[in-house]
Amino acid sequence: MNLDREYRLLFTRRQLFGRAAAGIGTVALASLLNDRLFAAGAGAAPATHFAAKAKRVIYLFMSGGPSHIDLFDYKPKLKDYHGTELPASVRMGQRVTGMTAGQKSFPCVAPMFKFAQHGKCGAWVSELLPNIASVVDDLAIVKSLHTEAINHDPAITCIQTGHQLPGRPSLGAWLSYGLGNESQSLPAFVVMISQGSGNKTDQPLFSRLWGAGFLPSEHQGVRFRSGSGDPVLYLSNPPGLDDATRRRMLDGVGQLNKLASRSFGDPEINTRIAQYEMASRMQSSVPELTDLSKESKKTLEMYGVDETGRDGGFARNCLLARRMAERGVRFVQLFHRGWDQHSSLPGQIRGQCRDVDRASAALVRDLKQRGMLDDTLVIWGGEFGRTVYSQGALTKTDYGRDHHGRCFTLWLAGGGIKGGISYGETDDYCYNIVKDPVHIHDFNATLLHCLGLDHTKLTFKFQGRDFRLTDVHGNVVKELLA
Amino acid sequence: MTSSRRAGRRPLSLVLLLAGTCGLLAQSAAVAKGPPVEYNRDIRPILSNNCFKCHGPDAKERQAGLRLDVREEALKPAESGRRAIVPGKLSSSNLVRRILSSRDPYRMPPPSSNKKLTAAQKELLQRWIEEGAEYQPHWSLIPPRRPALSKVADASWPRNGLDRFVLAGLESRGWKPSPEADRTTLIRRVTLDLTGLPPTPAEVNAFLADTCPDAYEHLVDRLLASPHHGERMALDWLDLARYADTHGFHLDSGRDMWRWRDWVIGAFNKNMPFDQFTIEQIAGDLLPGATLSQKVASGFNRNHMINFEGGAIPQEYHNAYVVDRVNTTTTVWLGATFACAQCHDHKYDPFTQKDYYRFYAFFYNLPENGLDGSKGNAAPFVKAPTLAQQQRLDTLAVAITQAEQRLKDPVVQKDAAEVKRVTEALAKLRQRRAEVDKQIPTTMVMQEMLQARETFLLLRGQYDKRGEKVTPAVPASLPPLPSGAPANRLGLAKWLVDRGNPLTARVAVNRFWQSFFGVGLVKTSEDFGSQGEPPSHPELLDWLAVEFVDSGWDVKHIVRLIMTSATYREASAVAPEVYARDPENRLLGRGGRIRLPAEYLRDQALAVSGLLEREVGGASVFPYQPPGLWRELTERGDSRNWSAQFYVQSHGRDLYRRGMYTFWKRTSPPPSLLTFDAPDRESCTVRRSRTNTPLQALVLMNDPTYVEASRKLAERLMKEAKTTDERIVLALRLTTARKPSAEELAVLRRVYEQQLAVYRKDHQAALKLLGVGESKRDEKLDAAELASWAVIANVVLNLDETVTTG
Repeated sequence: MNLDREYRLLFTRRQLFGRAAAGIGTVALASLLNDRLFAAGAGAAPATHFAAKAKRVIYLFMSGGPSHIDLFDYKPKLKDYHGTELPASVRMGQRVTGMTAGQKSFPCVAPMFKFAQHGKCGAWVSELLPNIASVVDDLAIVKSLHTEAINHDPAITCIQTGHQLPGRPSLGAWLSYGLGNESQSLPAFVVMISQGSGNKTDQPLFSRLWGAGFLPSEHQGVRFRSGSGDPVLYLSNPPGLDDATRRRMLDGVGQLNKLASRSFGDPEINTRIAQYEMASRMQSSVPELTDLSKESKKTLEMYGVDETGRDGGFARNCLLARRMAERGVRFVQLFHRGWDQHSSLPGQIRGQCRDVDRASAALVRDLKQRGMLDDTLVIWGGEFGRTVYSQGALTKTDYGRDHHGRCFTLWLAGGGIKGGISYGETDDYCYNIVKDPVHIHDFNATLLHCLGLDHTKLTFKFQGRDFRLTDVHGNVVKELLA
Repeated sequence: MTSSRRAGRRPLSLVLLLAGTCGLLAQSAAVAKGPPVEYNRDIRPILSNNCFKCHGPDAKERQAGLRLDVREEALKPAESGRRAIVPGKLSSSNLVRRILSSRDPYRMPPPSSNKKLTAAQKELLQRWIEEGAEYQPHWSLIPPRRPALSKVADASWPRNGLDRFVLAGLESRGWKPSPEADRTTLIRRVTLDLTGLPPTPAEVNAFLADTCPDAYEHLVDRLLASPHHGERMALDWLDLARYADTHGFHLDSGRDMWRWRDWVIGAFNKNMPFDQFTIEQIAGDLLPGATLSQKVASGFNRNHMINFEGGAIPQEYHNAYVVDRVNTTTTVWLGATFACAQCHDHKYDPFTQKDYYRFYAFFYNLPENGLDGSKGNAAPFVKAPTLAQQQRLDTLAVAITQAEQRLKDPVVQKDAAEVKRVTEALAKLRQRRAEVDKQIPTTMVMQEMLQARETFLLLRGQYDKRGEKVTPAVPASLPPLPSGAPANRLGLAKWLVDRGNPLTARVAVNRFWQSFFGVGLVKTSEDFGSQGEPPSHPELLDWLAVEFVDSGWDVKHIVRLIMTSATYREASAVAPEVYARDPENRLLGRGGRIRLPAEYLRDQALAVSGLLEREVGGASVFPYQPPGLWRELTERGDSRNWSAQFYVQSHGRDLYRRGMYTFWKRTSPPPSLLTFDAPDRESCTVRRSRTNTPLQALVLMNDPTYVEASRKLAERLMKEAKTTDERIVLALRLTTARKPSAEELAVLRRVYEQQLAVYRKDHQAALKLLGVGESKRDEKLDAAELASWAVIANVVLNLDETVTTG
């Protein structure tokens, strides 16, 4: 029950610290406090509702809305419909975005790319994703995701927070709150961003996508950045201040804080003492984590880590995600920008696929060969799909597609998910779902299920109401579970 | 913990105190036989949290024809023909049978609700029915009346009425208040609480030397008169008002609302009565002969997020804006979770969905667009010159008129050379006026359309699903609009601050309390409804609320009452076991010890280092921020078409303005502030979290703002004190107001000496450290010494005592 959770958060832990501070030395205290780093307050005890199949999640988010039609949802009949008007019986007067609402004609577009069947399961995958195609037997491809949102901001906010408007906690924050942190020196929830090469008018991202909403702010995602600066903001000592000096300072701060804790009965002081030690530990654990020099050449090649940065940093982030998973980070959220192909789709999507194909597949394969795929859930997908009809003019070599929330494709692998399956069906136009629809709430409920959480029980009371990631909706899609 | 020892009227507050202090204990305390069961105290929380969802105010969700939140409904036979509650008769009350049953779908609440009654709750419900199942209106809907001051055993302790209630609460548990904090602690605490800035050593000395019996009261008055007090009070208001410098959706481009922000600071500094403060912000534009300032004030409800994402549907966002206004207004003034009634009748409180859309109608009549803001402010907005700009314009206007007059003078007209001279001068003047005019900021305001829009209830809250037509009105369960008040925003504003409104004054004083004690008397300061926590000190809350209204909504009066109370002056240093018996300090048996809000932490570091620019108000500024943070989120080929897409760091004095003036981009708020729990300002925030994380340590140790502040503080130490020990003493005095103990002195001396040896050897390292930040280094000071003092300064800025109010 929520009250119990809050009670634990507020009192028990603090009393524990209080006693600990009085009774034992700093080293033992620090080890007691380890799991409080960042976000363990609410997850002090293993808080799953039932046995978890997945211990952690790596979410490869394709921001902008990849075209399910050109990548996964193969519809041979589209060839026949190519260039013909989308029948009103299919569109059924559904709302479209303001960008195409004024269009006089809605000509269907068959993908320009070849599809073939792969693996034992025989899943159809576009030629743009040869590497992902090679691991399809590990994937559950869901073709019937759907959302009410038709624009980026509400759609991405909805898939990441369960609500179209801002204000709710993000998925990772819910997990941090629900499960706590299993790392001793890294945050529970990490976010990494890479830039797509396909589209120069990429859709923006917002910090609310990894925000804590109304949960305590310690659950917000911590951004890891690439490039010349600190991987974690303010991680490095200032110039001219070496590690020995930092240690001296930390000892000074620690000793003075200990004196203060003697005069105040406030256990927050002991928590702060421990947090400074954690910060110090992070100063060495993060550089160790982000240093890829110990990775074999083979591994670097498998991911396609590209020092020129042509992939926008995606491959490096995938490899880092695996390293984080190894080190106990609960939720690693990658965002790859650039999937919003309103026009020039063929050229742009080639670039986007080149960015992500190799590393996405490598991540699945790498986790598997290390025996980690069983308890790591990997997710790949965007906030919505794209329309079967062309946005703007349809030419021999070019077309664009508008946003489409009525159906889109996303895949999962590992941690409690059945591999080598395809779930849900759309009609011949890739426009409406004809079988087994999966709403974002159902998807999120399933995701929580894999982590041992009942989505109806993971609640936080705010403004008088028990809020959930899935609001009052969501059903676990049992067919996806291993 | 035994409430049974007390009889009569006291147990109410006692059990509420327990409930507030520690939810789990409350149940066992309340179940003790003795005082009669009271609906508001004992029963409503159980019914609300476990039953109302299906048997409450929401008619559509109601199951089995049973409604439990209204007595006469609850006593009627339900659809089954059975009665849930038969007063006095347990055996005939079906509710009892259902809650006691062990059979699963039969037992209430059902397993699907994830709710379970405890044995104590079951017993309370039975006792309540046995005793006649009496109901009470919800406490917060009964208008507050001034209660008699509590009787206390220790009459010498209270300094004002407020203390009597607090002391009575402590005495009822057999506890004593903490002694008064020492004067150094007091001046630091009160200065930080009232201005968000630390006291200077001179101010501390003056206070310590002031032997006047009311020296402390004088101190409070001095601080209340400081222009920084308005800033401090405004910061909380900015969180409520979801104030930001960008629109928030999608590309998140810039807007200008800082003239509104400065209006708020000015209003607090002028001690504008809270009723006027309310009326001007809700409906300043509708006041007869509204001044520019009143129009600017009405921007409160234009601070919500605004969208112009290509392809978005205008009606959908127009609806979102109005919904935000309704939710924010009802949260800020009524402490109501009215937002729940957007899609259906409220499940816990007496608000129908129709109530919601009638309230919505007050805010629906703006000449605004669903998609707007791509070029800055969204309509409607007004030009709002600053005082300096207005003076300049006035001067220019006079000069222009003079020149024009001169050209009309027949004598002048005959003098060609003079005509040429004056014409040229006039052109220059007009050009200057145009230049000033271009600089004048605009600010978004409320405005009423002549032809009112028709408002409809929106089915399930969906913007395109219209239900019945509705007209503006206040919720039916609250008092009606005051007689003569028009059914528009102005009438609504007057209703909010009408004496008959049971909520506004309570909600406001509770937030003031929260500002200074860390937790409100009602902990759920955003929810005074059925699901919120009852007040820890109900009589104190009412006493303060009535005092507030009786004083003419005098904000400084209430703040002064709080700050001069014995309760506020209590020491926060207590033994761990005393702390443990009330970790959240709900009974107020000790002084507040609160980690400073993000902005004040930064302000404090800048202030003690001498870097702080104390100018009040003005356009937002861009202090140090790690490069690329915005770019990674939003950069695109057409970024140049929008504002606020590139972080262009300020230079010079704008690097050192108070934290509240930092440019607030909603999709990427200032990172160091966010790390210390500043909200993203996407929606109304009533309570910030107060977390304690390792990332905070990294900010205080490594953010260039703090590294530079350490260096400037070091310069100050070297210039203002001579010996090592004197410098350490000054460092502590600047940051914590007190002098270090011998032990502390020894620790810091050791760190300093070791560090000095390092920097003496490695001069380059010292220079590197001293190179952080754009302010000039005093080159007359020895670099190794200065760098070593910067290390000490950084230690001192990181102390727990420095970052808390103490």
